[in-house]
Parts: sequence; C-alpha cells; structure tokens
Amino acid sequence: MKDRLIILLMGVAALALPALAQTTPSPLMLPPNVEKELAARASNVTEVTLGKNMLGFAAKFMNGKDQDEAATRQLIEGLDGIYVRDYEFDKPGQYSMVDLDKLRQYFQTPEWTPIVHETERKSGESTDVMMKTVNGESRGMFILSAEPKELSIVLILGPIRMDELSKLGGLGGLGALGNVANVTHGKDKDKAKKGGEQ
Amino acid sequence: MRPWLWIPLCLVALLIPVVVLAGGGEGAFDGVVRAIETRYHAQATRIPFMGLASVVAYNATHGGVDDVHVAEFEHFSGPVDGDELNRMVQEKLGQGWERMIRETSRKGYEQTLIFSHPEGRRMGLFVLDLDGRELDVVQVSVDPDHLNESIGRYQHHRDSDESD
Repeated sequence: MKDRLIILLMGVAALALPALAQTTPSPLMLPPNVEKELAARASNVTEVTLGKNMLGFAAKFMNGKDQDEAATRQLIEGLDGIYVRDYEFDKPGQYSMVDLDKLRQYFQTPEWTPIVHETERKSGESTDVMMKTVNGESRGMFILSAEPKELSIVLILGPIRMDELSKLGGLGGLGALGNVANVTHGKDKDKAKKGGEQ
Repeated sequence: MRPWLWIPLCLVALLIPVVVLAGGGEGAFDGVVRAIETRYHAQATRIPFMGLASVVAYNATHGGVDDVHVAEFEHFSGPVDGDELNRMVQEKLGQGWERMIRETSRKGYEQTLIFSHPEGRRMGLFVLDLDGRELDVVQVSVDPDHLNESIGRYQHHRDSDESD
C-alpha cells in the first residue's frame, strides 16, 4: 500500500514537471510565418500581449472613483486579452497586398464579420475592422490598419463594442484605438446618413 | 521498503513542483544579468544598498512596491539581435513569466522587453531597456491595490495644492 502511494506521488510529481514546462501558445491567430516575415522586413516592431491576468492587474489601477474610470475598469476586467503587433518600415512597399489579404482571409470565418473596410487610394492607407460574434453577442474585435510605412494589427478578445474602443486608449500603446473608433464611428454615421436619405 | 523511508520520499515528491514554480523568482534577475554580462562581454553596475532601498520603497508605498532589483550597463557596445536577447531573457526568467511588451529595432540599438509574473495579489514585473549604449534591467514586485492607494494619496495632495 505504502509503495503504491509512493509510486503515485512520484507519478504526480513527474507529470507536473512537463506541465510546468509547457509554453503558452500565442493567442494572436495570425497565419503561420506572417508575423516572422513582417518582423524580418520591419525596421521597428512592437508587440503588446496583455492576457486576462495582466488586464486584471491593469484594471486595479483604475480606482473607479469617477464614472468613466469605473466603466473602463469594468470593460477591461471583462476582456480575455488584447494583442497588438505594430510594424514600422523604412520605405513603402516592404509588405504587399498579398500579405494584407492573407491576414484578412484568416478571419473570414463564420464567427468573424467584417464591419468596416476602408481604402484610400491616394494615400494607400486602409483600415479593416472585424467583429467576432457568438450567439449574437460581441466576443472580440480584429483591427488591421495599413499605411505605406506602417502596419498595425490589433486583436481584442472578449465582449467589446465599437464605441468602447476609445476607453482602451488609456492603456499603454493602445492610444491609436481611439482614432480607429473615431474613424469607424464616423463611417457608421455616414452609412446611417446615406441609409436615411434613400 | 522501510517504513521511515517513504515519508521523506513523499515530501520530496510533493516539493518538486513547488521548487520548480519558485525557481522563476529570486534567482531570475541575477541569471539574466549574468547571461548578458557573459554574452555581450559587459559589466553591470549594481546599485549599492538596493536591499535597503527596497525596504524604503516597501514602506513608502505601504507595500505597493517591493523586491526592487536594478542593474545598469553603461557603454554597452554593439547592436543586439532582438530574437536572441528575447530568447535568453525568457530562458533565464523561467516558467511563469509572460512577455507583455516587446519593442525591437532591426538595427539592434533599441530593445525593450517587459515581462510579468503573477504572484498572488502581487505582480512581478521585469523590464529590460536598451537605448543606444545604455542597457537597464529592473525587476520589481508590485501590489496594485496598495500602490494605487499611495498614488491616490499623492494625487489628492496635488489636487489640493492646485486648488490653493
């Protein structure tokens, strides 16, 4: 009996070691190698990975004394993760339209719905926003912003609405989200306006 | 098997996971600094009386900040391969540390790595920053609730000063 207990305990310990040694896979669901290829061509790369633990930690710094801060705290606590990749290039043409299409196609699944696709032919800038919905509820957002010399990819997992994006601007490195929210909000307004005129 | 032998054996078996988890803590900072010194043939300047400073920080922030470690490399020469540095830091920090922010320039003269490590109510933060020829390595343990209280207190002082 004692021998069995010892074997069992040793077994548990032996099983615990590989479990502890496992690395967490990146939740940023990008096509394989795209991240590596873009990073190899970029002159500056910024990666932000905020998992649920870290978001919970960040939320604690918002004491929630005013209404805005309390709402932001609630929003952040509800999220499962925020993942940002920003690539800056020395000159235009360091990434191709094929790269962008690969990224867009990766999110063309029934769960993800494209809600904004904006392209400015003159400046060569484009913005894509896709929303993840599960049972009719928003469960995430993917933002792809491309400029000739900069490419930004943002993935937010968890319940979030478009109008809440600007609230995340207070978190380090996510200030640009406020601009995306304004762009998309403006577009929604335009669409609504056009719809009303018809 | 003799009956007295299975008690220490059970203890060892139970302690293995605990030791593995704790391994990511105390020695991690020194491990990273030593690895950088060896790999880049650089000498770190360790801030004297850091232990005392850590105690002062703990008391000043009412437990908000603790376990402060700082090492500074001045006149750091040569560009750094971002991937290699990241791998090295990750390996030396060990399990439990998650990379939160990584900023890297292809030319290799600017690198920033920020790792976090949940420690119950506290959060361990590890920051490595290379800017030109200076590389700084900092590790700190933060209790957000207590730190927030301290920040709030200073904010209150600032607000009342501004209103005067």
